[in-house]
Amino acid sequence: MRPVGRTVWAIPGGHIPLRTTGPEPEETSSDMICLLNAGDRDAKVEITVYYEDREPVGPYRLAVPARRTRQIRFNDLIDPEPLPLDTDFAGVIVSDVPIVVLFARKDTSRAENAIATTLAFPGD
Amino acid sequence: MGDTWENWSGSLRFSPKRTERPENENALSDLVCRAAEGRRTIRPAGTGHSSSPLLATRDTLVSLDAFRGIESYDPAKREATLWAGTTLGEAGGLLLGLGLAMPNLGDVDVQSVAGALATGTHGSGKRLPVLSAMIAGGRMVTASGEITEFSLEEDPDLTRAAQVSLGALGICTALTLRLLPAYRLHRREWCTTADRCLAHLDDLVDRHRNFDFYWYPRSDRVKLRTMDPPGGAPESIPYARLVEERTGWSSEVIAKVRTLRFDEMEYAIPAEAGPECFEAVRRRIRERHRKHVAWRVLYRTVAPDDAYLSTAHSRATVTISLHQNATLPFWGFFHDIEPIFQEYGGRPHWAKKHTMTADDLEPLYPRWGRFLAVRRRMDPDGLFLNPYLQRLLGEEGT
Repeated sequence: MRPVGRTVWAIPGGHIPLRTTGPEPEETSSDMICLLNAGDRDAKVEITVYYEDREPVGPYRLAVPARRTRQIRFNDLIDPEPLPLDTDFAGVIVSDVPIVVLFARKDTSRAENAIATTLAFPGD
Repeated sequence: MGDTWENWSGSLRFSPKRTERPENENALSDLVCRAAEGRRTIRPAGTGHSSSPLLATRDTLVSLDAFRGIESYDPAKREATLWAGTTLGEAGGLLLGLGLAMPNLGDVDVQSVAGALATGTHGSGKRLPVLSAMIAGGRMVTASGEITEFSLEEDPDLTRAAQVSLGALGICTALTLRLLPAYRLHRREWCTTADRCLAHLDDLVDRHRNFDFYWYPRSDRVKLRTMDPPGGAPESIPYARLVEERTGWSSEVIAKVRTLRFDEMEYAIPAEAGPECFEAVRRRIRERHRKHVAWRVLYRTVAPDDAYLSTAHSRATVTISLHQNATLPFWGFFHDIEPIFQEYGGRPHWAKKHTMTADDLEPLYPRWGRFLAVRRRMDPDGLFLNPYLQRLLGEEGT
């Protein structure tokens, strides 16, 4: 299939909520990206995380096989470093083949759960 | 001062005055004699995987890099004598060539045999003791420069002290290990939730040869790790999803390669208190530490043994370890959790981060006094002590 998407994406508004209400892991507050690699080549993806007050951290390396999707919770990343919760951050996602990136936040800080999604900004 | 020495995680740095690399036992003996004459001190170094200051010195650091390989073996007794600087990974391959294997390994196998065993390194398994329980005897260069053999048969007192010696009795050059015929294991990793794991914990611990689990504080998920003889374990765990499996020789499947560097605190808890202690740790991390801590907590089981300073001495044991990326602050996290471990009678892993000293440790080890008596007999002038060991053992006057 013809590749869909771009090779550079940006997420400027990251902020993983600290609090969670409800049973975990189902209701854990999280920031997540959903990656679609509709092409025929595996995607090597690198994420660099930016902060307000310190140098960027990364790359966080991951792979999305050809013709597959993958969902990554920023909460779970530890290599090279976990992202601090309750802290503003931004992410730049670079792939060696075109992919599509969706950003999703689940905020269960209060009992009234909120889910927000937006397409990441395509940078190339 | 010599070059700066740094451990694997980067949290321990010091500059020994000199680093010596003797080629054989006679050269090591000469080195020890010269140090004793000059009233200097010596600390032996392994591969530097430990993050405790056991080997930190401003005097002489001795590398046993030249002491590698298998010196001899006895297939009938299933014993082999390994040179002290051999890494656990190297030993596994060499022993496999002889049709032998260690009964267990830890999570990694990059440590030297002598370093790992001298600090009570262990794997997981209710019926499997710390690795140093393999030691049937060995050879060390003592403070007088003598090359001395020891064995459980000839000198059980010295050998039980030497099994977990902290490098405080002499410099071990070779260790004779009691082994098993080479065996294969079916390693599987499963994902489930913490609550499901804890509800079935006794069964998991009982049923599998090797069992441990990782708890992920930011999702409350766990990863179960089971290892069993091929064909010798249940096909599935109904409440967990199989995510990885492989079968191979024990020396090839028990340990994993770890590239992401971390610092670690681990305490050994009486087995019966393990689940309650883990729950207290889990609660505290969820309440206070999730903002900065994403690394998993590791829960393992260890069989009792009789090495004087084994963290599983005379008690069935659960170990719980905390991890934090080496690039991030860790002491605030570790300091906050450490009293929970201590409340449950925890004994700290000798090679990892902790803050306990002799007054805290002595009541936890029934054979503490025996170990000190052996140490004083072997090294009355403290040639092998550094300031950290003096505080740890309460030997400041030495």
